[in-house]
Amino acid sequence: MSILDIRNLTIELETSAGVVKVVDKLSLQIAEGEIHTLVGESGSGKSLLAKAILGFINPRWRITADRLWWRHYDLLALNPAQRRLVTGRDMAMIFQNPGSYLDPNSKVGEQLRELIPAGELKGLYLRRKADRQTRAERLLHRVGIKEAKSIMDSYPYELSEGLAQKVSIAMAIAHNPKLLIADEPTTAMEPNTRAQIYRLLAKLSASQSMSILMITQDLTSIIPESQRISLVYCGQLMEAGPTNTVLTKPAHPYTEAMLSMSLFGQTAAPKTRLPTLTGAIPTLQHLPIGCRLGPRCPYARQACVNTPRLSKVKQQEYACHFPIIEVASDD
Amino acid sequence: MIRYTLRRVVLFLFTLWLLTLFLFSLNYFFPGNPLTNMTGIADSSSEAYRLAAEQRYFGGTIIEQYGGFLQQLVQGNWGQSLVTERPVFEDGLTALGASLELSLLAMLVAFVFGAPLGIYAAIQQRGLLDRVIMGTGLSAYSIPVFWLAQLCILLFAVKLGWAPISSQINPLYDVPTTTGAILIDISISDYEFKQAALRDALHHLWLPVAVLAIMPLTMLMRITRNAMLDVLSHNYIRAARARGLSETRILLRHSIPNSMQPVVRQLGLQFSMLMSNLIVTEVIFNWPGVGSWLVKAIYERDYPVLQAGLLMLATLILFVNVAVELFHAWRYPQVRKELYAEH
Repeated sequence: MSILDIRNLTIELETSAGVVKVVDKLSLQIAEGEIHTLVGESGSGKSLLAKAILGFINPRWRITADRLWWRHYDLLALNPAQRRLVTGRDMAMIFQNPGSYLDPNSKVGEQLRELIPAGELKGLYLRRKADRQTRAERLLHRVGIKEAKSIMDSYPYELSEGLAQKVSIAMAIAHNPKLLIADEPTTAMEPNTRAQIYRLLAKLSASQSMSILMITQDLTSIIPESQRISLVYCGQLMEAGPTNTVLTKPAHPYTEAMLSMSLFGQTAAPKTRLPTLTGAIPTLQHLPIGCRLGPRCPYARQACVNTPRLSKVKQQEYACHFPIIEVASDD
Repeated sequence: MIRYTLRRVVLFLFTLWLLTLFLFSLNYFFPGNPLTNMTGIADSSSEAYRLAAEQRYFGGTIIEQYGGFLQQLVQGNWGQSLVTERPVFEDGLTALGASLELSLLAMLVAFVFGAPLGIYAAIQQRGLLDRVIMGTGLSAYSIPVFWLAQLCILLFAVKLGWAPISSQINPLYDVPTTTGAILIDISISDYEFKQAALRDALHHLWLPVAVLAIMPLTMLMRITRNAMLDVLSHNYIRAARARGLSETRILLRHSIPNSMQPVVRQLGLQFSMLMSNLIVTEVIFNWPGVGSWLVKAIYERDYPVLQAGLLMLATLILFVNVAVELFHAWRYPQVRKELYAEH
């Protein structure tokens, strides 16, 4: 049973060149406690998708969907205030450049303390204050920060990016969200710090059955514990399925290309071209019709000018007329 | 922070020292006898003149004379006025009191009204009130203070009669001058008609304060609005929303304190600008402050007073700027990192 159910979400932006469908009929389901990886290159609309889920919507965007359900709430039917109540209570988000998401002029402790839900505190003023403090410290312990006192007493600019990300995670889990959206949380971090953050996220997901939507740019930065993966190209869903299956037996040419670009354990001979798709990611004003991968796809044929429907084989979904894997005759 | 404070204090002292050098050399560039220019004692055959020459090492080298000048300056022996023959230091202190009262009140008014209006304009960005506030702000900012002051006198004092035309208080109230700041003087005196005098002083005070406050008020309003708009577009405000904080809480705890950072930094500069307007305003309103004292001294070639007025105004501006910078660095710690990479 998925707690987040998105069917055919379309986001249209008004630009000087007319209305552009930045996200085109994207579907995404996340089950409770699942780590779902969303892979998309820049311009794929993945951050827009996160904003649409959280409800940070610019009034000039047009968002339509067959379904945009969070648990038993139809998010599109709620008014902004109600929606914020629901998403603020149940969801949280962490970002890349975590330092810029912390108020530069107040101490980490202050920012952490104000996020402790007031309803969980007991007693009168002083007691509540002490309670807040201990809860804030416990939050930092939970994200693996041992010297909580000194961290709480420092300003965000005094923290390293890894620490700042941990603090952001502590802030995000302050009200025990059911879904954590992590938008490229480890970009520009050392591999060691990155591994720490991944372990932390996986642990939190497992221990509190918190779902995580992990947004990344490429296949090399996937949490090992990720259960499902979705690949998005230019706002269209290319392939989705169990992480292992998709990575070992890709159905979609795009997945295959991404895999070969990631160079898992491969070595290339010197002075040869590295495997890439031909061409470049199209700009928003020049999106191709049909399957948006079409002009760059090595297997493209005439049929590709029509948008392929989403096909499903076992757990694996893909949107392609000419999938790579051997498909049973029911296609 | 200690190192930063030390740096600022040393810079402050160094600038003061340069100022004394400048003032000292002025005495020799002014026409006439340097000692008379310094002390205001015109009669070169008097006993006082002989004593002053001895105190200031006239007869010795120029270095010794400078030493004597500094010594007398620190001791508060700033000579006497060439015109009134009254001691300059005592007169200057009361004049400074009157000026401080006027300027600090104006600054307070500017901040108390300017900052909230700017914040409001930013939140209501492109709303009707934003346009109205910014439009009137720009026009008020463009009016030079000497003209504005006269317009205000014409309207509020002459036509409407809401305020007296000039001066600190009705001369009928015989309040002894101690600090020069009229409100404080009345409060600490055991004057018979305290209430009435206080009311009369406020009646006199509001118009010059308002005139003086207009310029910094509009500036602060615009700076606050821009700072607020800048802060509102930052990631941490969006993140605070994503974390589910209420809009009021974000405003009070995050956007306003952060938007005050450039505003605080501007306060020092605004105070410097206020000081030049202060001189004009004091002359127009016949306010017995340093500004009108200084202008009068310039007219009368009263060199000791002129020096004292310069020294006082310059020291005040320097002091306020250093104090504002120290407060800024103390309140916004990442500034120190930007400046000197230290905590």
